[in-house]
Amino acid sequence: MKFVKELQRSIEKHSDHNVLCINNVFYTYNDFAVEISKIRAAIVSTVEDEEKLIGLVTNDDLQTYAGILALWLEGKAYVPVNPSTPIERNIQVFESTETKYVLDSSNISIYTDHTVIATKTLVDTKINLEVKDFSGDQLAYILFTSGTTGKPKGVPITFNNVDALVNAIDAEPEFDLVPSDRCLQMFELTFDFSVVTYLFPLLAGACIYTIPKNTIKYFYIFKLIKEQKLTVLTMVPSIINYLRPYFPEINAPDVRYCSFGGGALHSDIAKEWSDCLPNCKIFNYYGPTEFTVYSGFYPYHKETHQKANNGIIAIGVPQKDTLYLVVDDKNQEVPIGVTGELCLAGPQITPGYWKNEERNAISFFNREENGVKVRYYKTGDLCIKDEDGDFLYAGRADFQVKIRGYRVELAEIEFHAKVKSPKKVNMVALDIPNNLGNAELGLAIEGESFDTEEIFNYMRTKMPDYMIPGHTRFVKEFPHSINGKINRKELKTYFDIN
Amino acid sequence: MSREEILSKVKEAFVSVLEHENFQLTDDTTANDVDGWESITHMMIITEVEKVFNIKFKLMDLMNMNNVGDLLNTITSELE
Repeated sequence: MKFVKELQRSIEKHSDHNVLCINNVFYTYNDFAVEISKIRAAIVSTVEDEEKLIGLVTNDDLQTYAGILALWLEGKAYVPVNPSTPIERNIQVFESTETKYVLDSSNISIYTDHTVIATKTLVDTKINLEVKDFSGDQLAYILFTSGTTGKPKGVPITFNNVDALVNAIDAEPEFDLVPSDRCLQMFELTFDFSVVTYLFPLLAGACIYTIPKNTIKYFYIFKLIKEQKLTVLTMVPSIINYLRPYFPEINAPDVRYCSFGGGALHSDIAKEWSDCLPNCKIFNYYGPTEFTVYSGFYPYHKETHQKANNGIIAIGVPQKDTLYLVVDDKNQEVPIGVTGELCLAGPQITPGYWKNEERNAISFFNREENGVKVRYYKTGDLCIKDEDGDFLYAGRADFQVKIRGYRVELAEIEFHAKVKSPKKVNMVALDIPNNLGNAELGLAIEGESFDTEEIFNYMRTKMPDYMIPGHTRFVKEFPHSINGKINRKELKTYFDIN
Repeated sequence: MSREEILSKVKEAFVSVLEHENFQLTDDTTANDVDGWESITHMMIITEVEKVFNIKFKLMDLMNMNNVGDLLNTITSELE
């Protein structure tokens, strides 16, 4: 597998460089190689060859990152679970993937029903970074995203998928990391955006700077930019929305690249942010988890490239080997300038949702192009293709919202909120814009007010923090539109959160 | 303004952002001690505190703020 071999070469070649800075402690590529080899030896001696999906508890430490590499050298996939997510949800993930083994660097593992490889307490071994022979259609990772039925959806990504991503980014001359780069890694490893923030620096021999848990991440990022002189930033737009009041105090001349993804980037704030980074190229990336992180980008420039639709920066053109198609509700291509659903095809497309034929039948379709059958993924994002061939984002086609870059199905929140409700009443989850331009979650409950503590306690055992509504309002009678549907737009006006 | 008065106004800001009152604020209180106080709500609390006291924090001060005591000290020095 080409990209895994390149990882091996890079780790060996840059052995005296720093690979990671975690909580002010630096680790070299050699330290990394040692940890990878130890974990790998433990995997080989503990896990049967045919067990391919291995759990990974995503702590913020060297062993967790080394665990990913150890699995990849063996041709196995990581199934990441966040230690701060309710254990019930994590166990559900392991059950649906039939994961028996878990790499866990925690001092005490809570996964007592699984065979745990305690990665912090392994014995030393000889460094071994040789890549095993395995097929590219094996899985490299499976991530779970919010699902409408109360159950998270698994998105499996193969080694071939990741290889195609690396290949596409390598073909892009505008983006070229070097060993002296210092790169921000602000994402949970359960979030697919993290793949590009550790993988590309590792391939280049650069250093990755993580955000320790329990810090106020916005200020910690600023601290890293200022004190560690980061050169490469990869962020979701909500980060700069929160930092916006302090832009006049930010001047970061060392930053060379700033990539955005995971949400709409607004042109007014992009311009102001660009003023804080005088020597920086800004990329507005687009791509869903189902298409291996990135599918293309728009090269934003505050003077020369500021194409936008309704104030949202364009998502540009597809990257190498990727096809974009905008379709109507019959999956037929719409003309230029007409809004439709964006669909993606190419070698980065997932084989399909994990054990979810029903969903796969809805989200994927085949189309005959020049005598060849091409498989497309329907993103649920509405787009317009313009005369220049650029794609413009125009909103969502369904009830999925982005909270801090995470995809959240409002229906999943409603599902869990209703389970423990003492009263059988209507509940609607809503995304409410705050005065910083970010979405927060609100829960509207129909009828007289009552104590919601039990509902919220239950939701906290079922969903990660970012999915728990921060605002609750009781509304005597929900407003309805003419066709009898709950009028969500009007319901949002009950949330005066600013 | 006395430290007690400042603390009481700060508590109001917390309550308005977090939408609950199940917490005590002392100098040593950190985000780990209060339900719902994390990165996002911290930013909202800071905005609310700036509004209530009619002050504007500096990013450098916010960057090194680790507990409620630090917050009260910064407010005090901004009010001077």
